[in-house]
Parts: sequence; structure tokens; C-alpha cells
Amino acid sequence: MSAAGITPDATRRPFAGRRVRFGDLALQGVAGAAAAAATGLVGLIAWKLIEGAWPSITKFGVHFVTRVAWNPVIGKEAFGAASFLFGTAVTSLIALALAAPLAIGVALFLTELAPRALRAPVTALVETLAAIPSVVIGLWGIYVLGPILRDHVEPSLHSALGFIPLFGPPSSSGSSIFTAIVVLTIMILPIVASITRELFLGVPREQKEGALALGTTRWEMVRGVMFPYARGGIAAALILGLGRAVGEAIAVTQVIGGGVFIHWNLFDTGDTLASKIAASYQGAATNLEVASLVYLALILLVFSLLANLSAQWVVRRVGRRQGIGLNRGGAG
Amino acid sequence: MSSHNLTRAALRSEGLPRRRAKNRAMEALAWLAAAVAMGLLVLVVWSVARRGWSELNLDLITKTPASGFLATGKQGLANAFAGTLVIVAVATLMALPTGILVAVYLNEFAPAAVRGAVSVALDVLNGVPAIVIGIFVYGLFVLGHGQSALAGSFALAVIMLPLVARSTMEVLALVPSSLREASLALGIPRWRTTLSVVLPQTVGGIVTGTTLAVARAAGETAPLLFTSSIVGTQLHWNPHHALQSVPVAIFELSESPDPQDHARAWAAALILLLFSLFASLGGRWLATRSRRRIATSR
Amino acid sequence: MPKVGTLTRILALAIVAATVAVAAATTAGASSTKTSGTTISGAGSTFVSPLVSTWVPAVGGALGYELQYSAIGSSGGINAITGRTVDFGASDAPLSPDQFTACKGCTQIPWALAATSVMYNLPGVKNLLHMDGATLAKIFLGQVTQWDDPAIKKLNPGVNLPSTKITIAHRSDGSGTTYNFTDYLSKVSPAWKSQIGVGTSVNWPVGVGGRGSAGVSALVAQTQGSIGYADVAFALKNHFSYFAMKNLNGKYATPGAKGILAAAMSDVKPTAGTNELSIVNPPKKFPLAYPISTYTYVIVPLQSSKAPDLRKFLFWAVTHGQEAKYTAPLRFVPIPKSVLVVAEKAIAKIHS
Repeated sequence: MSAAGITPDATRRPFAGRRVRFGDLALQGVAGAAAAAATGLVGLIAWKLIEGAWPSITKFGVHFVTRVAWNPVIGKEAFGAASFLFGTAVTSLIALALAAPLAIGVALFLTELAPRALRAPVTALVETLAAIPSVVIGLWGIYVLGPILRDHVEPSLHSALGFIPLFGPPSSSGSSIFTAIVVLTIMILPIVASITRELFLGVPREQKEGALALGTTRWEMVRGVMFPYARGGIAAALILGLGRAVGEAIAVTQVIGGGVFIHWNLFDTGDTLASKIAASYQGAATNLEVASLVYLALILLVFSLLANLSAQWVVRRVGRRQGIGLNRGGAG
Repeated sequence: MSSHNLTRAALRSEGLPRRRAKNRAMEALAWLAAAVAMGLLVLVVWSVARRGWSELNLDLITKTPASGFLATGKQGLANAFAGTLVIVAVATLMALPTGILVAVYLNEFAPAAVRGAVSVALDVLNGVPAIVIGIFVYGLFVLGHGQSALAGSFALAVIMLPLVARSTMEVLALVPSSLREASLALGIPRWRTTLSVVLPQTVGGIVTGTTLAVARAAGETAPLLFTSSIVGTQLHWNPHHALQSVPVAIFELSESPDPQDHARAWAAALILLLFSLFASLGGRWLATRSRRRIATSR
Repeated sequence: MPKVGTLTRILALAIVAATVAVAAATTAGASSTKTSGTTISGAGSTFVSPLVSTWVPAVGGALGYELQYSAIGSSGGINAITGRTVDFGASDAPLSPDQFTACKGCTQIPWALAATSVMYNLPGVKNLLHMDGATLAKIFLGQVTQWDDPAIKKLNPGVNLPSTKITIAHRSDGSGTTYNFTDYLSKVSPAWKSQIGVGTSVNWPVGVGGRGSAGVSALVAQTQGSIGYADVAFALKNHFSYFAMKNLNGKYATPGAKGILAAAMSDVKPTAGTNELSIVNPPKKFPLAYPISTYTYVIVPLQSSKAPDLRKFLFWAVTHGQEAKYTAPLRFVPIPKSVLVVAEKAIAKIHS
């Protein structure tokens, strides 16, 4: 069965006995070459990264992933990804945890609660906010967000919740893991919100109205009809948001401060895989350091592949083509 | 959540006051979430607008950065704007035909299995972080040959490709097969049908996809950091050399201690933000429009 | 053939018009320095970038070259010239033997002389607080964390020091300034030497990282109580306070012309082959010496397609480029005669 517009197989084959025109072959060849190139790109990227990281892979092997170290001093050289994996995990997961309820709330608001007149403009706002370049958000993070967090938010959180190791002494410079978390939350929010909104719009009206007709409250309808229906898609949206957060290099490196340690205090500085690469690549001191940075990039590539493929798998498994538009991914 | 319980509770109006209270609470939470989310996002845009607006002047795009460490006086980011124009234009020239060809192949020629595989590959490519693409292109083109705007354009083209291909595929799918069949029945060869009959129907969608891709590419910093960042202060247009670009300029200015540099960064950020917003808004508006048009013309 | 919609046409025209307008505006306002079209591109040290950026218009005028310099840090410069991505690299950290080998026939030439200032942001407290190497090392090791620590108070009797927390600002990229600074700390603190060591990039135990001397300066500017290190020109430009460092003679020296020149007198003969000089922590007989001074080097391939232009530019740089009008405002000091002679010999060796 062909979807409307995809050339049915019958017309793909030339009519029996008709000689194949050169033009047809040429177009198919050129177009096919483009498709092959596009498909091969990912493989080429992986190969180039493995090639670049090879000196580090052979020297440190898999233990690279578990070592906390980044010392380019000749004679003391040691490199490891553990502190950056920790930084990536902490920043991305907490940002996702903050962005998810906000995004689902926005989506619910836009589909169920907002006055009609407000829906279109606010929707447009959310959609276009996904298009803000990361360097702009980073600039804002350094000079607007950082000082606010440093001077007001972090001291309050520390005095109120300081017994939790997460909220240790506040940072002195505005650059911290916490600032990076807020920045990432702002970046993931529009994507997850707009995908979730489209999912909610796709819930069949009959089901929603049926539940309401039975006397459920609106919240019970949302919980009983909309969430189960959109569950798979929301999961995929969250995974995509996570992938975006994991891959974000520029905005994070502008606000996170740098450091090679595993601390629990969110107000300390730190580094993620992507931000370490952005900060150190141009000025890497030795060839082994360059190779180790490419090793970090390789790990990052593996993560983003995993996130992307699992999001696609979730969507396929759920079975419905809900027009999620998986083309909203990507990181800056 | 068992629908059985839901139905039973609803039909019997069990515990209605409590359920209504819970409903009100959840609705309030949703309003709150929306307010917080919108507030944050509006805050960002408003901050940039406020700080950038006061610094916006014509010097920004007509003057180059000052050379000379202690130099004061009028300066701007002309080289960055010129560079972004060139880099994004060349990237579009690379990505647009390739993206269209990929979409044409997937829609018109590929068997279902191949279509699935290439689609997956395109989605995966879309999700590769831009910094990884930057390192990839660095290893491919810059190592041994030097930086160039061309290498930067290639990196941006890799980022743009899935977006262009996907948009084109969506509109190609909307073109009714009756159109193709009619053309073939008239004796027009496949290739001519595709190029002269089918593709022109999709121009709107292609423009949309390209607009969105350009909006995304113009704001990317990481790939250009590795491929086109060793630049001087003078104005250049030659894509064989490394050219300054607006996002990289903002990135560098954001790390400077000089408030004058920050002023220029805010102004450039405002321009970049406005461009991204308009392109994105415009692209989506065009998309809805062309989809409506194709749907009603069937 | 279906018509392209009117709106699409208008849009397309608008985009083309806007592009042409921007292009025209940028070209119209471009600087009118007439250059012969030869570009000499370089990258590297942020330490020397104040001086090189001052040279750009002068080189354009005197020699007709367009000088492009990108301050990406000394390590970045070494990488760039090793990969022949640029015509010359600039580094304050001398090349190691491995780096010389990797560069395949490069020569290292000292071409400027200045000092690393240790800058601080402490409103209400005077400039030129006293500091010595041992205490500075303790601060950067994270052992001294507040401004009113007894160690700092001892060095500055009579100064009212607040209890503000000290925030360290260091380089996150590979930096020759870091090399100079850690070289000094290693010489004055055995603890630093064994725990951290010398390098263009080290495992900083505490502090926030900034990219480039500009990044460190930005951190110092926005963080009260912070201490950072950068070429003294950055301290001047941003009106930062900086320490007067105690030298081996027991005097407190400042990173000015006198202090740098005195330090330079401690090593006037570049090592044969590498042309290296080490003037960090000069011995007692130099009472005025500022202990964190350093030469900075330009690294060029001995064989280059741009050899005649490179030679001309580099000759200009080590002679005219050292004139007071370029160096004095930035607290660079003209290289001494003995070093100039060696430099000129090395430059003459560049061939096509």
C-alpha cells in the first residue's frame, strides 16, 4: 500500500519492452548517490572520530570511561572521561526533570485550558523559542542569569536546604553546574513542549468527549485518556530532549566554569563532555590530549545515537504515526 | 489508571467534591507551569532585546573590529556579517540540491526497505551534536589544509541536509500520484516527470524547509569554531579563507572583559535572534500555507 | 508549469534585496587600508596578542601586508603551525623536543618580552598589595581561601583586608601564560612542583576556567574577591589591581618596564638551537626584577612558500615592532641587543 503521493511500485518499473531511458537512469543514479552519501555520513563521522581518538583508545582503553583525570602536564599525563560523564548526566537529567513537567504543563495549557484567542500566538511563541541560537542563550546566561543565581537564588537555596549536599556553598562567579542546568532547561523546554502539544492535539476527540460525557473531571480525562494515548510520544519527546541537552556544547561551556572533579554541590563548577571539548579543543596541549578530546566526542556520538535510535524505536513501537516531527532534534 | 475505575467513579459521581478540588488543583498547576515556562522564555528574549536594542547602530555592520589592543573608537562586526552571509550561502548551495535529490530518491525510486533505512539514517544525522560534526569536518578538511569558510559551510551543510530532505519528502508525498501517472501516460519520461511536473509542486515546501534550515545554520557556533575561527579583523569575502561569523563573534565577545565588547555582543545577538525568529516563524507559516494549498488543490 | 506564488516571489525578492543591502553596507564601510593583498596569518598566544594587534595597522601601512592574528592560546598556536594551518605560530611556552619534531623543521624565535601580572578584584583595597611566591602557591592550591588569611595579612601589615572568599580564575585552554605562571609557582613552591607541575595546561585543584587571557580577565572583572593571571597589558586595559611580587632579593617588584628589564638581564643568551630563554624567578643579584616575566616566541617553518614576506615581517617585528610607541603603552619591553642578534640570524635562515 502506498501513502498518497509515494510513487506506487507499478510505476517504478519501466513498461515491459520499453527501453530504459538514459535520463531515468541518470536521475536515479544521481539521486541514489545523494541518498547513499547521506546514509554513509553517519558511518563516516564515526570512522573519522575513531581514527582521531585512536592514540587515546589504544593507550587508555575502556578504562578511560571510568577514570577521573585530565592532566596534560608532560610526565604526568592522564586522561579520563568519568568527571565529564558525571557532569553530562547531572546537568542533562536534572534539566530534563525540570523541563518535563513544565513542558507537559505548557502543552496541556495550550490544548485544553488556554482561551482560544491565546492559543495561536502562544503556540507560535513556543515554536520559535526553539530557534534561539545557543550562543545567545549562553550570552544571556553569563550576564543575566549567572549574577541572579549567584547573588539571590543560590544563597537562598543554600540557607534553606544546605543540609542536602546538592545545595552546598554558593558559587562566587555565577558559573556553575546549576547555571548550566537552568540554561539547558530553557533549551529543552520548547522542543518537548511543542512535540507534546502536537501529541495532545492528536488525541481523538471522541475519546476525550466520551470520557467527559461520562462525568469525569477534566483532570481525570487528561490522566485517563490523553496521557495513556500520548505516553509513547511523550517518552520519545523526552528522550529527544535529553539528546539535545547531552549534545549542547556552546551555551554550557559559557556558563559552567570548568573543572575535573566529581562534586555533589550543584553550585560548584564542572564540565560536561560537550563543554569540555568546546573549551579545550583549540588549545589542546599535546597530541594525546587532542586524541582524548576526540575520544570524548566519540562517547558523545554514541550517546546521541542511543538517544536518537531509542526515541525512534519508541515511536515505531507505539505504532501510530503521530506526525511527531522527529526533525526537531539536534544540538548546537 | 484503570479506565474501569474511572468510568465507575464518573458514573456514580463518587466523591465529586474531592475530585473537583483535585481537578482545580491540577488545572492551577498547569497554568502555573505554563506561566513559569512562558515567563522564562519571554525573559530571555526580552533581556536580549532590551540590551541589544540600545546598542544597535549602523556601525555594527559597516565597521570592522578595531585592530590595536587599546584602540577605542568606532568599530563593528562587518567582517562577521559578511562571513556569515558567505558561509550560510555556500552551505545552502551544498545542502539544497543534495537534500532535494535525497528526497526525490526516497520518494520516487527507493524500495520500501531502503526508504526505511535512509530515513533512519537521516534522523540519526539530525541528532548528531553540532560539536561532533565540527570535529568530524576538522579531521576531514582542516587538518593539513588549513581552515576555510568552505569547510565551515560543509559542516553547516551536514546539519542542514536532514532538515531540507525531510521537508522536501513531506511535500513530495503530498503531490497526488495521479499527477505522476497522467504525465507518464502522456509519454513523458520518468526523469522529466519528476523534474518538471512533480518538483515544481513542491517549491513551497522546499522553500520552507530551506528557510528553517538556514535559520538553524546561521546560529550554529560549534562547527565554525573548528573550521573557520582563525581570522583577522579585515573584511573578506573569499570562501577559501577562514571567515569570521556572527555566532563565533558573539561567543568570543561574550568571554571578553570589556563592556564595549559586551555591548556589541548583545546587539549582534539581537540581530541573530530576530533573524532566527523571523526565519523560523516565516518557515512554519509558509509550511502551513503550502500544505493547505496542496491539500485543497487535489 | 504551475506559477510560483506571488507571495513567494515577493519573499524571494526581499531576501535578495536584504542580502545585497548587507553586503553593500559592509563593503562600503570597510577599512580603507590599502594592502598589496598578501596576507600573513598567525595564531597562538593571547599573551602577545595585545602587541601583535597593535602591529596590524602598522604592518599594513609600512609593508603593505595584511596581518591576521587569532589569539587562541599558545597550545593552539603550536597546533596550528604544526598543521601548517597558519603562516606563523606564537607561543610563550618554548617548544618541547617532541613538539619540535612534530613541527617538522620549525624554528623558534624570541620576539617580545613582557610579564604575567597576578590580578585581583577587591573593591576598596589598594592596588599593588604585597604577595610572595609561597603564599601565592598556597592560594592556588586551595590552602589559603580567604583574603584575611594570616599569611596575606603578614605580607600587608596595616592594610584592612576583608574576609571575602578568594576565587581563582585560571585558563581553561592550553596557555603559555599558564606555563609561565606554573613555572614560577614550581620554582617557589616544592608542594606545587610535586602536586601540579609545569605546563601549558595543568590539573588545577581549585578555581573557575576562562578561555584566553580575555576569558580570565572577564572572570576577574565579574567576580569579587577573585585572583587571576594574564599578561600585564590585560590588567592595564581593564584597570585591574595587581600584586607586587616578592623576588629572590626580598624586594617587591611590579610588572613594569623596570621590573621586566631587570629580569631579562638574568638570561641574555638564547640557548643554541631552540633559542629559549628562561627569566623566571631571577636570582638575588637582580633587586628590581619582577619574578614572573617571560619572553614569547614566534614559531615559523624554516621552509615556507611565503619566505620573503615572512622574513620581511619578522625583521620588522623584532626591530620596528619593538619601538616605544608600540611596546610602552602595553608594558612590553624591547628585546635586548644580544637576543635581537640571535633572532635576526634565525629569521635569515627562513627560505623558500
